[in-house]
Amino acid sequence: MIDSLCERAKEENLAVAWLYCDHKSEEQAVANMMGAILKQLETRETLKGMRKEYGRGTELDGLLRTAIASLRQVFIGIDALDECPPENLPGLLELLGGIVHEFPRTRIFLTGRPHVKEVIQRHFVGAVEIPICPNPKDIRNYLRMRLERDGKPEAMGNNLRASIGEIIVEKMSDR
Amino acid sequence: MDAEFSEYISRMDPAIRHHGICTTRFEGVGDWILETMEFREWRSGEGGVDKALLFCSGNPGVGKTYLR
Repeated sequence: MIDSLCERAKEENLAVAWLYCDHKSEEQAVANMMGAILKQLETRETLKGMRKEYGRGTELDGLLRTAIASLRQVFIGIDALDECPPENLPGLLELLGGIVHEFPRTRIFLTGRPHVKEVIQRHFVGAVEIPICPNPKDIRNYLRMRLERDGKPEAMGNNLRASIGEIIVEKMSDR
Repeated sequence: MDAEFSEYISRMDPAIRHHGICTTRFEGVGDWILETMEFREWRSGEGGVDKALLFCSGNPGVGKTYLR
């Protein structure tokens, strides 16, 4: 998805910034996430100017807003929101909500376990949800690829090969 | 100093993780999302503030980040 958004970015003065949350990481303070987004919206050159601004006392969220204002549209993606420390979530969503109100073209894309929906909706009433479930066509293609990579293909007859595919796809759709 | 400032504002480096995903992901999986009406509407930006946020939800391992 990130790549498909990035394809259009250069020609249309759009920018895409994304983050991967990871429960193992200790670097997930809101300021840190803001900084990571900012870095992706700026070039080396413009970041120099930002450094000066920051030196003059402009806060990080002010710099982020300046960066967003200079672009026609910004996409911000955050993966695995449920792995972000829960105490940081309200602050992060408040920041994103503020950005969207100030720059209504901004698009936010989040992924996470279903339970984070509740906290998201507190900040984004109109949040649109797409439940991700394994798609049978994807699973079939994926299994074909994995079976082709099998180290001992001769140990598997064509019937077995076919039924592995059928049974797994069937079991997936039962869930 | 510029590298320092960049490090200073955040030590997260999502490009590394993204590159790792791109090289190991199974091509084409999840492309159906790009065809959904929800995604298209969201991307167009026409819904303004109300339609600004898209949330892909699912339990661990269903392929929210990618599938490899």
